[in-house]
Amino acid sequence: MIVTQPLPILREPTARHPAKLLMVVIAFGLLYGAVMGSYELRNDRLLQVMFSACKVPLLLLCTFSIALPSYFVLNTLLGLRDDFADVLRTMIQAQAVFTIVLASLSPFVIVWYASGVEYPLAIVFNGVLFFISTLASQMALIRLYRPLVTRNENHRRALKFWIVIYSFVGIQIAWTMRPFIGAPELPVRFFREGAWSNAYLEVLHIIGQAMGR
Amino acid sequence: MILWVRQLDQLLRGRLTTQEQLDEKGVDVSSPGLALVLILLGGIYGVCMGTFAVAGSGSGQSMQLLASAIKVPSLFFLTLLVTLPSLYVFNALVGSRLTFTPFLRLMISATAITMAVLASLGTIVAFFSFTTTSYPFVILLNVATFSLAGMLGLRFLLQTLRKLRVGEASTIPAVSEERLPPVQPISDEQLSELTSELKDSASATRYVRQQPSPADRVRKVFVIWIIIYGAVGAQMGWILRPFIGSPTQPFSWFRPRGSNFFEAVWSVITHLSR
Repeated sequence: MIVTQPLPILREPTARHPAKLLMVVIAFGLLYGAVMGSYELRNDRLLQVMFSACKVPLLLLCTFSIALPSYFVLNTLLGLRDDFADVLRTMIQAQAVFTIVLASLSPFVIVWYASGVEYPLAIVFNGVLFFISTLASQMALIRLYRPLVTRNENHRRALKFWIVIYSFVGIQIAWTMRPFIGAPELPVRFFREGAWSNAYLEVLHIIGQAMGR
Repeated sequence: MILWVRQLDQLLRGRLTTQEQLDEKGVDVSSPGLALVLILLGGIYGVCMGTFAVAGSGSGQSMQLLASAIKVPSLFFLTLLVTLPSLYVFNALVGSRLTFTPFLRLMISATAITMAVLASLGTIVAFFSFTTTSYPFVILLNVATFSLAGMLGLRFLLQTLRKLRVGEASTIPAVSEERLPPVQPISDEQLSELTSELKDSASATRYVRQQPSPADRVRKVFVIWIIIYGAVGAQMGWILRPFIGSPTQPFSWFRPRGSNFFEAVWSVITHLSR
């Protein structure tokens, strides 16, 4: 079932059961996560594969549930409350598209790792694939929103807000949930010590250092 | 087996990819059958490639013949395995009508064309491997044959893709006169209602129209994919090396990892000119 699910999800804005879509998000997220964690695979790093596999669906579901309440309020304010069931289904479907695209890109990660790249390049490559999948899912989201937008123009405004808040939350959660790949010389951990910092302040700090020089 | 070879022959002649044939049946080939032919053709080219090792100027390791015969088909299948899932997903995402089985047939056919061209160049490669003492020259010759075969195969892919009309809606069957509903007179009220409805849907279509057609987007996805396919294929070849066998090194199934294909080709070119 899991294998045949993705095909119609990609093509059609279908009224699917959200629980099934969630299964797709979890299954394909696990798949990509496992591949992502297989960098420098050794016996003592098998645990990292499992950790990374769990982290990808967790990352998506956490970001989604944190961003959702404010989106619900915004929809209500814009007078779109009656459509919210459709909106929610659309959002979950976009998440499913994201994980399917990500999983379909996972063979590239295997080739990339097999070429014996350095750890920073492995991170960058995974970042690029996440970026591509995000673009693809945004594209799908905009298409899925088309019937809603024809019903009420305000949906387009709401969608813009969603994209901003979702990326804002997602970046911070991804930062908190490091390491996704795990530096080969460090011991395998689910969370990195001292991970509870702020991604945006970190970036500011790095820019500050660069300017100071 | 003979049937499948015949299918490949029909593909090469372009008889299976005429517009009428494609409209009627799609790409009408057997994927497993062609895959088998592919393995055979790849094996033939692999043996030709490995002859440099057993020729006078090589390292004299006959195992290289077997290794290359296995590696050439593996190279193509692994590259397809890596690049197909994402191509299929993006193809579906941009609204193509191509479903999985026809998609697989199309890709296997394109690979079969590539392999047929490659195997046909095998004898030339074997001839040069026997008569040349320069290892860099043989490497570059093989890079050239692979590129030529790849380009011809991908040209076939794009041409067939255009003929498959993947972006158009399925043809609407003709409706006979009797089955149409009878024409009914309508009042002015109904008329004004219908007009306003039409206006609404017109503004809705304007929003939809701004998007490029699915056919264009599918084509774009395939063109981007071709670039990725080339890069992955080259790097996969690098991971699977040695294919030819260096005259100065003993036989091994694989070499240590590191570096990449593009860097290596550049260094071979500079060595050749010295």
